[in-house]
Amino acid sequence: MTMKNPRVARRYARALMTVAEERDAVDSTSESMAMISRVLGSSRELRLLLASPIVPESRKASIVRELFQGRAGDLAMAFVELLVRKHREVHLAEVIIQFQALHDELRNIVTIEVTSAVALKPGQEKTLKAGLERRTGKSVRLRLVGDPGIMGGLVIKIGDTVLDASVTHQLARLREQFAKSS
Amino acid sequence: MADVRPEEVSAILRRQLAGFEKETDTYDVGTVLQVGDGVARVYGLSRALMSELLEFPRGIFGMVLNLEEDNVGCVLFGESSEIKEGDTVKRTGRVASMPVGEAMLGRVVNALGQPIDNRGPVLTEQLMPIDRKALGVVQRQPVKEPLQTGLKAVDGMIPIGRGQRELIIGDRQTGKTAIALDTIINQKFTHTEEAKALGVQPVYCIYVAIGQKSSTVAQVVDKLQAEGAMPYTTIIAAPASDPGPMQYISPYSGATLGEYFRDSGRHALVVYDDLTRQAQAYRQLSLLLRRPPGREAYPGDVFYLHSRLLERASKLSDELGGGSLTALPVIETQANDVSAYIPTNVISITDGQIYLEPGMFNAGIRPAINIGISVSRVGGSAQIKALRKVAGRLRIELAQYRDLEAFSKFGSDLDKSTVAQLRRGAALVELLKQGQYVPMPVEQQVVMIFAGTNGVLDDVPLDHIQRFEKEFLELMQLQHADLLRTIARVKDLTDDTTSRLKEILGSFKDMFMASVRAAVTAA
Repeated sequence: MTMKNPRVARRYARALMTVAEERDAVDSTSESMAMISRVLGSSRELRLLLASPIVPESRKASIVRELFQGRAGDLAMAFVELLVRKHREVHLAEVIIQFQALHDELRNIVTIEVTSAVALKPGQEKTLKAGLERRTGKSVRLRLVGDPGIMGGLVIKIGDTVLDASVTHQLARLREQFAKSS
Repeated sequence: MADVRPEEVSAILRRQLAGFEKETDTYDVGTVLQVGDGVARVYGLSRALMSELLEFPRGIFGMVLNLEEDNVGCVLFGESSEIKEGDTVKRTGRVASMPVGEAMLGRVVNALGQPIDNRGPVLTEQLMPIDRKALGVVQRQPVKEPLQTGLKAVDGMIPIGRGQRELIIGDRQTGKTAIALDTIINQKFTHTEEAKALGVQPVYCIYVAIGQKSSTVAQVVDKLQAEGAMPYTTIIAAPASDPGPMQYISPYSGATLGEYFRDSGRHALVVYDDLTRQAQAYRQLSLLLRRPPGREAYPGDVFYLHSRLLERASKLSDELGGGSLTALPVIETQANDVSAYIPTNVISITDGQIYLEPGMFNAGIRPAINIGISVSRVGGSAQIKALRKVAGRLRIELAQYRDLEAFSKFGSDLDKSTVAQLRRGAALVELLKQGQYVPMPVEQQVVMIFAGTNGVLDDVPLDHIQRFEKEFLELMQLQHADLLRTIARVKDLTDDTTSRLKEILGSFKDMFMASVRAAVTAA
């Protein structure tokens, strides 16, 4: 996912995190935000509404209130309303991503993307997770991706760093070495 | 004939692959956010270094120029249309580098050192970073050896020393490149046995063509080839069709190659033709990377762009081998305006400038050097003594001539000494004319300028001076080669040499004037 304006998103996310920490409501806020994110992801209408400059601020606020009142926590609710008031509702999805990143950092969780050619068996997944947890020293949330294009082996992506043990990559290296030695 | 068994084939293949290790590779990646016009913004790559090389898909490389909070701005050394949003970008862990070595000589390469002359790979063993820091004070020593351009006007009045930075500046079509090329061609002598015997060390040349037409570069290559200058020359071409980033880094590549020769105790000459285009390429990149524009829309660090490049020219101390890197940057002015932004910057960085004027060029004075505002701030100490002795008065006499010439335009009666001075000046101007691609050895320059400043040419008709020079030099080479050799060896004019030279000049002139009179009567 590419960021339109990561600076804005990060600033709002950090503010929300600070307040959540003060009120000792980090986890509940995180859950509420995740719920909002799911709703946003599933409803094109809501996304369009928030992005529309024609809909007045008061109307947006009342719609958002009606949607999430009682379902999201007080803090999350107030935050979304603040975004609407400040005309930053377009960035809501980005803010949530940034907030979840801050939350993961706080709770020492790291999301690791693992690409494999065939689906991993539950046993393999467990071993992999344990191994990665040892290596990173954090609790790991695995995101499994299937890609027959890598032929075999694994590609593990931790943040910006990639551990590449795929067959495709090995073949590419083999080709390079052949070209060089001749 | 015995057949090759399949087992043998696989055995050989296996042996070739013996070193292959099946280990996991670790690398950092980012995602392309935005791409276009030769620059890209990449999300991620949080550990990328400044000016690190990045690998894009489809074999395109880029270089990091901006490090920002959550993305890096980089320039692309290939077609940006090949790259799409969302592409994965890999860090390579090395900064942009240039292959260096003897194998580079005689080749035409691009700004990254890859050959573009269809003559196979360049077999070099060493890579050096393109952007290196210039040497400090301790590693240097003053310029002391001459770098002969083979041009009477330059070697006589604006002498260039090895390790100097001399700017060649002027409008388009005034012969800037011609001076640079003549200088390269003149270095051919330094690679001969004869030069070795005289203690003249060879000079390796690098010609960096920035933002020029590819056809112009091809002409330069052809000319250098025809003159036999390619064996000691490398051409780094970043023609106008190359992406901006290539034009921007090409002078640094040239400097790196020059430094390779310098650091191994040898001498190198690098011509940047021209830095105006490089500044424009850099301006383009900077604006695309959204750096704030300043004067003439150049970014704030355009001075540093050139100062860090030219500062790399140097004469090394003896402890470091005494090598040198001479730089001849070229700047093109618009309508003679030397006070524009880039020209003033480069003038202030360099150790002097050779200023070429379209007016003089059109009047047939070629090289069209305006002696009045051309200077060499350090080369004087590098000039050989013989030339310094004879050329010392050349500058003053020409300056006086120019003043008087303006004055005499009033057409009033002039006294005898003024007329004499005007006549002397006109003869000297005629003497300093020189064709392209015919550099003159320094000892021949000495005898010709000797003739000029000692008044020998004062009564030779102006349109016969070129012939005088040609015939006199022929005579010297045929009958008095020993005298020329003495000047080249001693590098000074002893009383003995001076008197012999006067004698030869005297008798030659009598003969010459007789032929002039005969020609006049015949006409």
